[in-house]
Amino acid sequence: MFFGGRAVSLLPLILVLCLTSNSNILPVAEALWLTIPSSGTKCVSEEIQSNVVVLADYYVVDENNPDHIPTVSARVTSPFGNNLHHNENATHGQFAFTTSETGNYLACFWKDGSHQQDAELTLGLDWKIGIAAKDWESVAKKEKIEGVELVLRRLHGAVEAIRGNLIYLKDREAEMREVSERTNARVAWFSIMSLGVCIVVSIVQLWHLKRYFLKKKLI
Amino acid sequence: MEKGWGKMWALMVLLLLNWVSNISSLSVTVNEVECVYEYVLYEGDTVSGNFVVVDHDIFWSSDHPGIDFTVTSPGGNTVHNLKGTSGDKFEFKAPRSGMYKFCFHNPYSTPETVSFYIHVGHIPTEHDLAKDEHLDPINVKIAELREALESVTAEQKYLKARDARHRHTNESTRKRVIGYTVVEYVLLALASALQVIYIRQLFSKSVAYNRV
Repeated sequence: MFFGGRAVSLLPLILVLCLTSNSNILPVAEALWLTIPSSGTKCVSEEIQSNVVVLADYYVVDENNPDHIPTVSARVTSPFGNNLHHNENATHGQFAFTTSETGNYLACFWKDGSHQQDAELTLGLDWKIGIAAKDWESVAKKEKIEGVELVLRRLHGAVEAIRGNLIYLKDREAEMREVSERTNARVAWFSIMSLGVCIVVSIVQLWHLKRYFLKKKLI
Repeated sequence: MEKGWGKMWALMVLLLLNWVSNISSLSVTVNEVECVYEYVLYEGDTVSGNFVVVDHDIFWSSDHPGIDFTVTSPGGNTVHNLKGTSGDKFEFKAPRSGMYKFCFHNPYSTPETVSFYIHVGHIPTEHDLAKDEHLDPINVKIAELREALESVTAEQKYLKARDARHRHTNESTRKRVIGYTVVEYVLLALASALQVIYIRQLFSKSVAYNRV
């Protein structure tokens, strides 16, 4: 990585390229790679609360033929079925939205009809939500902080996010405990009622048969 | 000029080293094999993460067969291997830099949804400090702090995925209690009605015989 004195000055530039570039020249360290099958779609989903910023970036990675990069189509749907992002025939794209409802957000990718070869496609996906999607460069510029102070500000943001998550988990646990206790009460109640239903039904049976036999003058 | 370069360099290095890999926990549906790739920049980085099988329909037996999880290094060796588990945490030191493959294998025909989280953490070592004079020892401490916070976040994501699975089980139990009990009552009433009809039928025939 450190080639010599002259190359050192180029390294910050390379690092900037690494962080901001979406091209296929340098592998972007932040992303996850998925394989898109030659037919069918590949979907990733996440359960997200409401009022959370989602920022995602996707790009096709193809080292085999750099001059003829295959294209993909993408669709992002909200838990209620609304189409949040739809893009066709692109080698890269990005989408950003703020969630309006809690639920499962689905992002699906599929190969385009024009590139139906047998080879599988590799897609890089950079999916960030919440605090990870925060634009720290603009915060640094606006408040004129840099270096260690910026780092510590980011750590502070991360700690606040942890606290928020903890409160969310606590609420979820309370909700689930309530459901469990209600189910438990229902099991007890329904079992006793089933015994009651059994007794009632057998009494009705006996009453009906007795009436029937009396009518038919058998007893 | 030199000081400006130094500051920018420190900022760049900090940005790269501390926030190189930050990923969200995604869910993917595993039909047979699903592989996810993650790039590890430095040799010796700690790759940590967790995965939980979220959506699975238990019908009869509560023993979930589980899925297999394999991590393959860029050289083709299996770095980490977990078999037949329905969710676990993992952590290993990357033996070399490059593209690592994380594969989930589902041995059964029913598709499973797996929620996973992978984090690659780098802490500057003494070697990195010696190489670059702009790297302060404070950067090491900040990197360690950052990694500790990341581990808390990873644990939270694991708990969230496990909670989602538990909620799924609870909902299923609730629906079953209501559904099966109502069906049970209806069947009971139906069985007794059938019994009565059958007995009536028996006796109506023998009355005919008795007349003879």
